[in-house]
Amino acid sequence: MFDLPILLQIGWTAVATSAYYVLFAIAFALTLKVAQVWNFVQAGVMGLAFYAMWLAMIRWQWPHAAGFALGLAVAVVVSAAVEAWGFRVLRQRNSSSLMLFIFAIVLAEFISYLLTLAFGTEPETLTKSIVSEVHLVGGVAITNWDLRALAITIAMSLALFAYLRFTRNGQFLYAVADNGPLAELYGISANRAYLLAMVISAVFVAAGVYLYGTRASMIPTQPLELMLFAVIATILGGIGSIHGAALAAVFLSLLQSASILVIPSAWQGSLTYFVLFIVILFFPTGFRFPAWLRRVTRGR
Amino acid sequence: MIRSFTAHAGVRALVFASIAAAVCAAPALAQTLKFGLAMPLTGSQSSFGKDQIKAAEWAVADINAKGGVNGKKLEMIVLDTQGDATLGINAVNRLVNVDKVPVFVTAWSAVVKAVAPIANREKVLALSIGANSPDIAKLGDYVYTAFPLADVDVAAVANYTLKTLGKKRVAVIYVNNETGIEAAKVYRTQFEKSGGQIVAYETYDPKATDFTGALLKVRAANPEMIHLHGLVAEMPLVIAQMRQLGMTQRVTSYAGAYNPQMVEKAGKGAEGLIVTSLAPDARQNPNVSGYLERWKKAENRIPNGLPYTQYLYDSAYLVAALYDHLEKNKLPATGENMRRALLAVKTFDLPMTGKLVINEDHTVRKPVNLLTVQDGQFVPLATVD
Repeated sequence: MFDLPILLQIGWTAVATSAYYVLFAIAFALTLKVAQVWNFVQAGVMGLAFYAMWLAMIRWQWPHAAGFALGLAVAVVVSAAVEAWGFRVLRQRNSSSLMLFIFAIVLAEFISYLLTLAFGTEPETLTKSIVSEVHLVGGVAITNWDLRALAITIAMSLALFAYLRFTRNGQFLYAVADNGPLAELYGISANRAYLLAMVISAVFVAAGVYLYGTRASMIPTQPLELMLFAVIATILGGIGSIHGAALAAVFLSLLQSASILVIPSAWQGSLTYFVLFIVILFFPTGFRFPAWLRRVTRGR
Repeated sequence: MIRSFTAHAGVRALVFASIAAAVCAAPALAQTLKFGLAMPLTGSQSSFGKDQIKAAEWAVADINAKGGVNGKKLEMIVLDTQGDATLGINAVNRLVNVDKVPVFVTAWSAVVKAVAPIANREKVLALSIGANSPDIAKLGDYVYTAFPLADVDVAAVANYTLKTLGKKRVAVIYVNNETGIEAAKVYRTQFEKSGGQIVAYETYDPKATDFTGALLKVRAANPEMIHLHGLVAEMPLVIAQMRQLGMTQRVTSYAGAYNPQMVEKAGKGAEGLIVTSLAPDARQNPNVSGYLERWKKAENRIPNGLPYTQYLYDSAYLVAALYDHLEKNKLPATGENMRRALLAVKTFDLPMTGKLVINEDHTVRKPVNLLTVQDGQFVPLATVD
C-alpha cells in the first residue's frame, strides 16, 4: 500500500508544509532568545497580519505584493507596539516572567476574540483558489506553492543567519540575549535589541501567514493552534537555539505526516499535543543534536 | 367629596383605558402565527445558513403579502446556531421557553441531534430541513425531517458510481462529526452491498484546515473514485488539496457540495465533481426559474446550496399549512397539535420542491438529481428515482 512514490510524497509534502511552521518557530525562538519572553502575542500578530492581507487581497482586490506589504506593516507595527507599551512597561516594573507570559496569552486571546467579532469564523484563504500548478516528478506531486514556500523559507533563514552572524546589530542581539545588563554596560541598548527582535519576528510571521493563507484556510482561533507547533519546535530545538527551532519544526512536520503510516488520520490532530507532553517530560532542554549540527546551531 | 369623586373618576378612566388597550392589542397578538428558525447566521457554515434564512424570509413575506394564514400573519423568529450543537441548544431553548413557539425549523445534523431531547421533552415539533444523518429518523416523536436523509441521495450516488460509471474501487473521506460519520457509513454499506470495494475510509477533524494526512492515505489506496462527505465550508479546500497532491480521481459528494464556492475555490480541481440535488430544477418545476431570477436581482448570484434554499423557502409554506389545519379545526397552537396536524395532512404541495409526503417512519423520499461540474458550471447528469 505504501510504495516508494507515496513515501516520497509524504516526505516531500511534509518538508514543503513545514515552511510556514519553520517561519513561525524562528519568530518565536528569536524573541524568546533575545527578550526572554514567551511571546504568545505572536498568535495575535499572525491573526492581524492574515486578516489585513485578506482585506487587501480579497476584499479590496489589491495586487498580492501590496496586500502582503499591508500585512507586513500591520505585523511590524503591532509587534513594535506590544514591545514598547507592553513588555517594556512590565520589565520596567520588574514584573516576573509569569506576568509577561500571562500578558502575552491574554492579549493573544483578546485579539483572537476581536478578529472573530470583526471577521466571523468562516474559513478564509488569501487567494480565491488555492490550487497551484502541479508537476509530477517520479510519481511525486510537486506544486509551485511547494517550491515557492521552500525558496522563501530557505532565503529568509539564510538571511537571518547572515544578519545575526555578520552584522553589528545582529551581534548586539546576541550580546543582549547572552547578558542584557552587561551589554548595557558596553553601550548596547537592550530595549532597542528587544524591539529589533520583535520587528524581525514580525517579518517572519507575516511571511509564514502569507504562505499558510495561500495553501490552507484560516479562522481567527487558528493562530493559537499554529503557535503550539512553534512552541514545541522551540523547546525541542533547544531554548536559545533559533535554527534548532527551525530544524525541529521540519522534524515535527515530518513526524506528523509520517504518522499516517501507523495511526488513523482522525488521530493526527492530537499528535501535536502528545508530542508536547513527550518533549516537556523527556526533552525539556531540547533534543540533543549530533555534535556537528550543534556547532552550526549553537547559540544561533 | 369633590376630591374623592375626582379620584374615583381618575381610577375608572385608567381602568377603562387599560381595558381598551388590551382589547386593541389582543387581536394584534393573536394574528401572529409564530415559528422558530434556528440556523447558522454566523460561523463557518453561514454561507449556506444565511442564504437559507433569506429564502425562508422571502417565503414568509410572500405568504403574508397574500393575506397570511386565514388573515393572520406568519412570524418567523430567527436565531443563530453557527451549525454548532451547543449554540443550537441555546437557540432552541430560547425559542421554546421564551418565544413559546409550537414548531421550529432547524438543520445541521449535529444541531438536530442536540436539540431533539428539548423538542421531545417540551412537546414542540422540530422540523429538520437540510440535515441528512440517517439517525434523524429515530430522534423521537417530535422530530421529523422534511428533507430526504443520506440513505436516499448518498445511496443513489453510490449505486450510480458502481452501476453506471462502473467504478469498483472507491475511497471515502468524511468529516468526523454527525454530518459525515453516518452518511459515510450509508455510502460504504450501499457500495459494498452492491459489489464494490471501499479501499480507504478516512476522516478529518471538523476544525481542520489541512487535510494532507487523510488525503495521503486515500492516495496510497489508489482508488478509482473518491467519495467526499464533509461540511460546506471545507469541502472545496479538501478537493483543492487533493489536486495539489496529484490526485486526479473523479470525486462524488452530496448536496452540500452543490455550491458555487466549490468551483471558485477548487477551480479546475472541481471539474467532473458529481453532486446530488434533492430539489427539482427549473426544467422540472417552473417556479424555480422565477426563484432564481429573484436571487439574481436581489443578490446578483444564485444562492449557495440552491436545493437547500428551496426546501427552506418551502418550510414557511409547510408551517403555514400546519397552522391552516389548526385554524380550520379550531385547535390551539401547541406542539402536540402541530405534530398531529403534520401526520393528519401528511401530503403537502410545496411551491419550490413539489409534493412532500411525511412517512410514518419520520422520513421523506424524493427523486435524486445528479449534477456534475463541466467547464466550471454545474450541469445535470442524471435523475435517480
